Amino acid sequence: MENRTVLQQMISRPEFGPFVLLIAEILVFWAINPAFLSPGNISNTLAFTVELGLIALAMTLLMTSGEFDLSVGSVFGFAPVVMWTLFNSGTTSLEVGFLAALLIAAGIGLFNGVFVTRLKIPSFLVTLGMLLVVRGSALFITSGFPQRTWNAGDQWLAEVLVGDFMVGPFRLYMSLFWFILAAVLLHYLLTRTKAGNWIQAAGGNPNAAMARGVNVVRTKLGLFMLSSMLAAFAGVISSIRTSAANPNSGTGYELEVIAMVVIGGTALAGGRGTIIGTVLGIFILRVMRNGIVLIGVPGLAYNIFIGAIILGMMALHSWLERRHNAGV
Amino acid sequence: MRESEGMEELVRMEHIYKSYGRVQALRDVNLTVRRGEIVGLLGDNGAGKSTLIKVLSGAVPSTSGDIYIRGRKVQMKSTTDAIANGIETIYQDSALVTQLSISRNLFLGREPIKGPRFLGRMDMEEMDRVARDLLKKVGITKNIPPSTPIGSLSGGERQAVAIARAMHFDSDLIILDEPTNNLGVAETQGVLRFVRGARDSGHSCIFIAHNIHHVFQVVDRIVVMRMGTVVADNIDPKSSSVEEVERVITGMEHDAA
Repeated sequence: MENRTVLQQMISRPEFGPFVLLIAEILVFWAINPAFLSPGNISNTLAFTVELGLIALAMTLLMTSGEFDLSVGSVFGFAPVVMWTLFNSGTTSLEVGFLAALLIAAGIGLFNGVFVTRLKIPSFLVTLGMLLVVRGSALFITSGFPQRTWNAGDQWLAEVLVGDFMVGPFRLYMSLFWFILAAVLLHYLLTRTKAGNWIQAAGGNPNAAMARGVNVVRTKLGLFMLSSMLAAFAGVISSIRTSAANPNSGTGYELEVIAMVVIGGTALAGGRGTIIGTVLGIFILRVMRNGIVLIGVPGLAYNIFIGAIILGMMALHSWLERRHNAGV
Repeated sequence: MRESEGMEELVRMEHIYKSYGRVQALRDVNLTVRRGEIVGLLGDNGAGKSTLIKVLSGAVPSTSGDIYIRGRKVQMKSTTDAIANGIETIYQDSALVTQLSISRNLFLGREPIKGPRFLGRMDMEEMDRVARDLLKKVGITKNIPPSTPIGSLSGGERQAVAIARAMHFDSDLIILDEPTNNLGVAETQGVLRFVRGARDSGHSCIFIAHNIHHVFQVVDRIVVMRMGTVVADNIDPKSSSVEEVERVITGMEHDAA
């Protein structure tokens, strides 16, 4: 087992397949339309990618612990609605509105977690219910209308969250920095810390973990809260960048995010997760969405490719898993 | 007289009853395990072995009865209570997380921390070092890196990891529930060696197995259960035959007499 070559070890890593796929995607799109790698296109793709990516990072940890969260898309829409409604009505400053939005998101996550861990209801059902409650609340509060956000321009908070700056020909947003920070921190958490060990054990064999004194309930509660809060954070960032807090925004994101996570090699059933894989998964799907339009495939055909990628990667991961279990 | 009778008492279960609805699974069971002895627990299917072990390991509560550890009465409300009291139960797979490595499993729940506590960074070097030592101690001669996931180990090696963990965290009593089921001949010999290794370093064991021959090879004393109660608790494997024990298990000993 120890005399395997470096190359063999690289290939057997769950991140290897996604990595190759991402490189292939980029090369194909670039070969067909060189504008794909233009600074303008890269800047545009990055801006939205990292917002969805923030949610996927938290979802990776949650799925590694054996649960998932379908309510993230609606929290993504709801949190900015809360923040801007508070601010626009003059009730609070923007900073307080922002904190209120994050706190409410944490509460939503806690609620999800309590229902899943204490009442032993599958997370699929709990978070599906929560999706409807949160989305409904966003629509009800706003009567279905988008909230104004254009007076955010001179707020320091808006600058810190999504202020843009030029690096050479690239327009980068502060959100990229937040994404990188979150990715590094969560990767460290999952692979190097005691908490990471507990997250993997909670998903892999919860009974064995509990018998060893691992607090599985608290671990999952924390992850549900993290997932909701990062979804809220991403929603706020997106609302400032696009100058609109639309109560309908984020619809369908939960499935796209889960797809990103599993494409990256995290096991749907829990126990094994990889932040590096998720980062690759995030880019695989977003590059696909962007590139397909640039090379002239009708946008309506987008889902065909996404579906094919998911099926292909699942087949690859399942093959790797079987090889792995056979001790190859 | 058996040599173990002078030894210090570790666990005493007194008048244990357990009923599931109208089914009486345990009736007035008394069991004592002394320090440093291996007790073989035998009985046919449904004799109450598993229920008794579940009560002792905190997995199910008894209906009535008392458990004393080192002479002190204890409450076993959960497996965590049992582990805190130095009782470790090893079921075939269930005590390990197959996705995690050997060293991560060994230290699960008690990870050594390196650097500032709030960062919670695991001391992987220390974990790997201890893991290598322990694997050697339980008699795994093959060179298995501690970073190997449990999922790619054989059944016998998994038992070894579980036994090694119990030894490292000073469990006084290691309960092995059918540890040799589904194992090949060489693997079974390996597990029996791990059990002897654990006893030689001062741990007590309760060894449950269907295969009486495996039990005979390793235990100091045999306890037999039948229909929810203990029918013999001091059979010396050195002075009894497999056939005699079989008769006790099936309840045919009176016919033979």
